[in-house]
Amino acid sequence: MIRKVLIANRGEIAIRVMRSCRELGLVTVGVYSEADRKSMHVRYADEAYFIGPAPSRESYLNIDNIIEAAKKSGADAIHPGYGFLSENAAFSDRCKQEGIIFIGPSAYSIATMGDKIMARQTMTKAGIPVVPGTTKKITDENMALEIAGQIGFPLMIKASAGGGGKGMRLVRDYHDMIPSFLTAKSEAMNAFGNDSVYIEKYIESPHHIEFQILADRQGNVIHLFERECSIQRRHQKVIEETPSPLMTPELRDEMGKFAIAAAKAVNYESAGTIEFIVSDALEYYFLEMNTRLQVEHPITERVVGVDLVKEQINIANGLPLTFRQEELRQNGHAIQCRIYAEDTDHNFMPQPGVVTHITVPLGLGVRYDGYVYEGYEIPMYYDPLISKLISWGKTRPESIARMRRALYEYKITGVKTNIKFLERIMDIPDFIGGKYNTHFIEQNHDRLFAPKLCGTECEDMAMIACFIDYLDKIEKIQPQKFTEEFASTWKDFGRKRNVLRL
Amino acid sequence: MAYEIKLEHRTAQIELLNRAGSKVLLAVDDRKYELDIVMVEKGVYSILYHGHSYNVELIEGESSKEYIVNTFARSFIAEIIDAETRYQQNRKLGTKAEGDNNISSPMSGKVVKIPVSAGDKVTTGQTLIVVEAMKMQSEFKATADRTVREILVKEGDIVNAHQVMIKLE
Repeated sequence: MIRKVLIANRGEIAIRVMRSCRELGLVTVGVYSEADRKSMHVRYADEAYFIGPAPSRESYLNIDNIIEAAKKSGADAIHPGYGFLSENAAFSDRCKQEGIIFIGPSAYSIATMGDKIMARQTMTKAGIPVVPGTTKKITDENMALEIAGQIGFPLMIKASAGGGGKGMRLVRDYHDMIPSFLTAKSEAMNAFGNDSVYIEKYIESPHHIEFQILADRQGNVIHLFERECSIQRRHQKVIEETPSPLMTPELRDEMGKFAIAAAKAVNYESAGTIEFIVSDALEYYFLEMNTRLQVEHPITERVVGVDLVKEQINIANGLPLTFRQEELRQNGHAIQCRIYAEDTDHNFMPQPGVVTHITVPLGLGVRYDGYVYEGYEIPMYYDPLISKLISWGKTRPESIARMRRALYEYKITGVKTNIKFLERIMDIPDFIGGKYNTHFIEQNHDRLFAPKLCGTECEDMAMIACFIDYLDKIEKIQPQKFTEEFASTWKDFGRKRNVLRL
Repeated sequence: MAYEIKLEHRTAQIELLNRAGSKVLLAVDDRKYELDIVMVEKGVYSILYHGHSYNVELIEGESSKEYIVNTFARSFIAEIIDAETRYQQNRKLGTKAEGDNNISSPMSGKVVKIPVSAGDKVTTGQTLIVVEAMKMQSEFKATADRTVREILVKEGDIVNAHQVMIKLE
């Protein structure tokens, strides 16, 4: 049985995992880089070990250093959190070799799902719908036209080695096919040094919906319903909610079954997420599987009433799942907002810096997973995620109202955050009505980015605050000397008068 | 004593006429304000003026005279112009206006790439330097056709917010 867990991560997720460990009576071991000595996860852990310089590659991604910390501390298990080494098959394997329990799936599951083409092939074999298209390399222009004819327009040309939106081309009609194919090829060559591209059907106004699953070593797999993650910026999620406003009970049942089948197809164990892309007409296709705990897992925990980290530990101990599918219900509605240190007015540019003040929202139905505190410097080396704010309500409208209230209470000064931007989203009719897809931010651009007016009076107030602050600052430096001199002159005078009887 | 304050592109005369505790009487250009101002948290001022409640957050810039000011509606860069600043500005005016000729990063980060070298002629839109912070790379581009005068950083360097990295002419 696991007794001592090393958390190979930092920030809010390291603390999130340690909390469950603490409740289970397990000893927690933190690891930290040079930039993180003062980070909250180091303070929260029972033990903490240094693992290298600030850049992730030399610390949080350094397998040798992390294994060494595990050995030194005598930890019998490692929880990878999300990001960093969480989806690294070699790390999962290495833990196994070293006799340390990896709290997550096997190297085989990670590797199969981590490769785009292999995952597509495995899913097709298991009878799970994938986006229509080809995984074969498109070699010439004739082949490109032939396959385009089979799939139909609009379609996407994607780089096989691609990621992050590079080497992707949307083609809307026949005439653009050849030029787009050629540019996609050269873009892919430039970006990845590999010009192989493949073709996929383009899903108009897609929704991004994912299913949480849990699987144990005994072969039991259950799903914990869906999460709607369509509100994204720069291909990164900003707001997630469950249940999805798009979902019907029949669709949920169907997709849930496919999610379970997908996990079984790779002999999955631990917690995982199957991502689907869903069209407005409710056609759905497998997109990818995330073989780890997700950033947005708390909304599922809140609505289903399950601690996913405890379940992961339980599974890693070789024990069967603690409940069956038919015992699970979705109770109420939960929303999560990701609070980023970023400048929403300037292309969401990240903003590292010192937090001078923080007021965290509390109250009924609010969960806060964060890690920064007053005086903490958010380092420039890692993700700009400051915290996650989760609201729960009996209904979706109550959950939205509660999130709006919580965002209003949430104050962070010193660094720019997206809190105001999130507050604006809570007021957008498309969001309130639950009618949105992955184009939400661009479609509501005018409302979200409209410069709020700061008139002459408001500008004057900004100047006045600076002015008063500046005056008080210089006064603090100068008059001290002043008063001392004054005091001593009067003292002098008094002494002289007494002594010399002036 | 009257000061000048520069708020983005607007410069105003500001003078403190009277002050008793949190109650102040000020003049901004020709407008008089009688208001109540309190620092409620470190760097955060609450101003009450004619029943309106304003919250203004100040983040000190590189010098004690520079601020980033956040109001509810938007944020500004502000600078107090006292005798010393004015003197320095006048001296600079004699040579040439800088400003647009300096490339600096709005956030701290690591220089990942400098595709140009000193003496290069660059055209509008050409990438001059790439800075990475929090897993995101930002490219800084030339806003006009210029010549690279001096490069003050090198690849791999850590830069602070607002630090000048490249000088153009």
